[in-house]
Amino acid sequence: MKQINRFTKWMKGSFHLYLGGLFIIFLLQYFRTLPPLFVQHIIDYVFGVEPSNLPGFMQRWLLADTVQQQLILVAVVSVLFTLIRVVMIFAQRVLLAKFTEQVAYGLRNTLYKHLQNLSYHYHTNAETGDLIQRVTTDVDTYRMFVGEQFVEVARMTFLLIFASYQMLQMNVTMTFISLIIAPIIFTIAFVYFMNVKRIFTEVEEAEGKMTTTLQEGVTGIRVVKAFGNERHEIEKFRNDSEIFRNQSYRLVKLMAFFWGGTDALIFAQYALTASFGIYFVVQGTLGTGQFIAFLALLGLIVWPIRQLGRIIGDFGKTVVALKRIDEIMDQSSEHEGDSDFAPTLQGNITFEGVSFHFEDDPNHLLKNISFDVKAGETVAIIGRTGSGKSTLISLLIRLLEHQEGRILIDGHPIETINKKALRKQIGLILQEPFLYSKTVAENIRIMHREADQQTIHSAARLARLHDDIVNFEEGYETLVGERGVTLSGGQKQRLAIARMLLKDKPVLVFDDSLSAVDTETDRQIREALSDTWRDTTVFIITHRITTAMEADRIIVIDQGQVVQQGSHDELIKAEGLYQSLWEIQSQVMDETLKEGEDA
Amino acid sequence: MNYFEEEEYTQTKFDVKVWQRLFAYMKPLKKDVLIALSAAIMLALADVAYPLLNLYGIDTIIASGDLRYLPLFIGGYVLFMILISSMVVTFIIFAGKVQNYLAYYLREHAFKRLQELPFSYYDRTPVGWIMARMTSDSRNLSDILSWGLIDLTWGGLMMIGLIVAMFVINVKLALIALTSLPALIFLSIYFRTRILKAFRQIRKQNSKITGAFNEGIGGAKTTKTLVLEESNFDDFERLTRKMRDHSIRAAIFAGLYFPSIIFVSSIATALIFYYGGMDVSSGAITVGVLYVFIVYVAQFFEPVMQLANILARFQQAQASGERILSLIDTVPDIQDSPEVLERYGTMESPKKENWEPLHGQVTFENVTFKYHKGETVLKTFNLSVRAGEAIALVGHTGAGKSTIVNLICRFYEPSEGRILIDGKDYKDRSIGWLHESLGYVLQSPQLFSGTIRENIRYGRLNASDEEVEQAAQMVEADRFIDSFEKGYDTQVGEGGARLSVGQKQLISFARALIANPRILILDEATSSVDTETEKSIQKAIRTVMEGRTTFIIAHRLSTITQADRILVLDQGIVIEEGTHHELIRRGGHYHTLYMNQFKRRQIDLSMQNT
Repeated sequence: MKQINRFTKWMKGSFHLYLGGLFIIFLLQYFRTLPPLFVQHIIDYVFGVEPSNLPGFMQRWLLADTVQQQLILVAVVSVLFTLIRVVMIFAQRVLLAKFTEQVAYGLRNTLYKHLQNLSYHYHTNAETGDLIQRVTTDVDTYRMFVGEQFVEVARMTFLLIFASYQMLQMNVTMTFISLIIAPIIFTIAFVYFMNVKRIFTEVEEAEGKMTTTLQEGVTGIRVVKAFGNERHEIEKFRNDSEIFRNQSYRLVKLMAFFWGGTDALIFAQYALTASFGIYFVVQGTLGTGQFIAFLALLGLIVWPIRQLGRIIGDFGKTVVALKRIDEIMDQSSEHEGDSDFAPTLQGNITFEGVSFHFEDDPNHLLKNISFDVKAGETVAIIGRTGSGKSTLISLLIRLLEHQEGRILIDGHPIETINKKALRKQIGLILQEPFLYSKTVAENIRIMHREADQQTIHSAARLARLHDDIVNFEEGYETLVGERGVTLSGGQKQRLAIARMLLKDKPVLVFDDSLSAVDTETDRQIREALSDTWRDTTVFIITHRITTAMEADRIIVIDQGQVVQQGSHDELIKAEGLYQSLWEIQSQVMDETLKEGEDA
Repeated sequence: MNYFEEEEYTQTKFDVKVWQRLFAYMKPLKKDVLIALSAAIMLALADVAYPLLNLYGIDTIIASGDLRYLPLFIGGYVLFMILISSMVVTFIIFAGKVQNYLAYYLREHAFKRLQELPFSYYDRTPVGWIMARMTSDSRNLSDILSWGLIDLTWGGLMMIGLIVAMFVINVKLALIALTSLPALIFLSIYFRTRILKAFRQIRKQNSKITGAFNEGIGGAKTTKTLVLEESNFDDFERLTRKMRDHSIRAAIFAGLYFPSIIFVSSIATALIFYYGGMDVSSGAITVGVLYVFIVYVAQFFEPVMQLANILARFQQAQASGERILSLIDTVPDIQDSPEVLERYGTMESPKKENWEPLHGQVTFENVTFKYHKGETVLKTFNLSVRAGEAIALVGHTGAGKSTIVNLICRFYEPSEGRILIDGKDYKDRSIGWLHESLGYVLQSPQLFSGTIRENIRYGRLNASDEEVEQAAQMVEADRFIDSFEKGYDTQVGEGGARLSVGQKQLISFARALIANPRILILDEATSSVDTETEKSIQKAIRTVMEGRTTFIIAHRLSTITQADRILVLDQGIVIEEGTHHELIRRGGHYHTLYMNQFKRRQIDLSMQNT
């Protein structure tokens, strides 16, 4: 039951289209078995003395006095009948396509939405390549199953039923003779494709290896050339390419014997039907028309039956694909059961004995963190790589949830505030910001799509990005990201700042977000911003002491704990980490001067 | 439109030249092509002849009621069975061979060319474009030139065979049956290209969706922090909706085509029913002849559909062919001159016995360099470096540091002026000669899939295991290598993905060391690594530099101070030159740069490493 639900749960909503399509297919398969009977009707009934095997209602339409009139009627009725059939084929195709594409559309959207709502923790641990595979290839596998494979199996089953029925109507013995090899062909196809899967995988692996060598030979061209290893690369590629060629050719050879072999079986079936048919006709137990109809009906089913074996042999793929999709869907959304409370924030932030560790790791990344920040204050958080600075900020915007203590914003416990409302009001500027494959302008106005050109330009100017942009060939309309221009780390960081400038926010966090910008520009930007953000609570996360020293207050974090707090002047006087860092800096300064004197 | 724009559908005219050249690649496969084609011809003939066997059965055995002929009839079936199945096996095997070998030849040629192409080519050609030529285009082309060609032969011959057979059997019925042909052809041409076009749109849309998923996953953190979930979803939904609508439209086209063919062929059948039936009743033809015509009319539409499909695909494959040929035809703009090739050999077969030893003296003589777009990066640049000297290049991004290094490596050649190595213009020596004595340590170390051992050995392919391990020890890479279960035989993953940045850097030092180059290029990493590795890297830099002409694009103070000479560059000009101490004392650009950049880095580093 669970297995069936796995297959059907994505079909809800427009299932009637599917049922409609399948019903038409059912009727169509019956209709498909009729043309051979028209031939039988002409030869056995019109020319001969035997009864027609056409269904009764059709025979009635074909009643006439002369042979000529009867032939005209057969011709006209067969065309009209085909017209109906053709319309039904069309309708069925459109219905099924609509259904299938609707299912794929829904599935893709659901997956995308769900992926976006999965926790930050999930995303940091997920393998992108694997996820992409699931949401594209696996979805396609399922789409093919719904739209083609399952339909094909249904079609074949109905056709087999109706063809057997028509055969039985004409001659029972001949029916058995005509269907005797079919199960063998089906079994061979099924077993063959179950087993050949392994070889398919081998071919795919060989191709993957070749592609890797190719990709590395192209992206690593600098190294290849610098070491003069072109010949080696060509050899390596030739070797991989040869293995792939041989594997793939081996598969073709196997396929050749399968198709050739089953062709022989199919002809054996034809030979049986034809020989016995002729024998029975001569014996008088079968009409000539019936004989011809048998050959035609046999032709309808015997070729597709090996495809049927193939499709059923392939079903396992869909089960695996759906399992992989469900693994994503089984993860719960981070917005599930989130509060609706969305206050307008002032920017007073309090941490009270906050601790945090990942569920699967008992080591605390933050321990007993306490501090208090008033609205409008600028606070620097300084600490070494891995000291927990960024984790702290993740807690502040609930990318991660703390386990102990309290985080209060304007007195509200943070977990009572709606996540999205919270994040909308706390502007976080990341060290490695992600740009979307849109134009520069679109990236700047990403949070406020209605922003006009002037606003965008002035934001870019403030972030010292404008001059860079106008130097691009297409200026603000330059595409960035995967399919466009690659921006430098510093340009990305400045763009991230520009997009934050479109609208005031009560709290802003710079998470090492000017690390790739040179010192001079860094200073200019911060000066420009301090005017704009006079009333904003600003956090500056950094390991650059020169950046930290300008803040109203500095919080020093080490190994997950607040070790010092105070202004720059206070901290350099107090013994501790800050002082020793400051000393290192002074020492470097001294060295510089000394080196200058020595030389 | 952009040269690199993918898959734009163009209604290209048939270009004989392209196909001639592509067919030339099939020359070594001539025999196989001929065998496959013969099998296809036999199959087509068998398909036409097969209904005649039943004609014999109906008109001779049934009509006469004489079962003595039945064994002959059965014998005929056995013959067909053997003939058809063996021809099917033959044609699949040989077409498959042509397909796989042709793809192999195309890839080989293109890859060889890729390795010959200079750096500037890679500067202006996206990797994705190259990959597409090498994978999907070569596949498309080899498919169409094997299966497509054979299907074309089969389909064409079957049509001719059917027409001839019909006329031989009965001219009147043949003419009646053929009335459907123009309609079949018209419908096929009308629909085929449209269906192909629709499917191409779907593919394009599909790759956009994949891109969007990629972005949704890769940008998850940014999306969350900016709360862009809804607007991203709206964008995404627009893509999937388009995909759905395109797909349905394609299904409607395809859904019109096949039924319309059935309908046309049913009209032809009905005509045969009537005229053939009348002839049977008048005794002009036998029942067997009526049977054969009914079968033939039904058989007719298959090759027509097949041919329409193949012709449309040929059109598409021509575009693939043009693109692959354009890759193969790209002339490397950095090449050894004929005289140099004559004396020093080619990349394929170098004449190393003629190679002079390389000492490592490097001279720039009035070198000017412009990129393709015409932007001048270096202008009448002069520099003379003794063998064994260490030069640090410093300056802002775009100052020309990388260009100088790329020129030394002969990844680019001077637009004007000369570069001399050991006093000789390097264009008078082979590229291989220079590259054999060149070592390169990259900012972002590029490793290749394979083991650590293979990666170190990449510096000198004939190095022994001992030499590999020795090199690793010299840069202290053995510490982490030994900690791996499989040691030197540990797989590094694609591009070295399973190693940390620091580990990759150390391996790339070992790789450069084993090459024992006379000239070493060191493009120092800006990314920070943990203390332990940082120390090893500093030590490795000293080890690797020893006794070699070294050019360093430096970011660390400790590295710069080790240089014999520092060149401060600005917009392609040396604005200051000297040792660290001299320059600091001078209090000029270097001093400022130093205070701003290196000092800051130093503090950041100490911050991380205390």
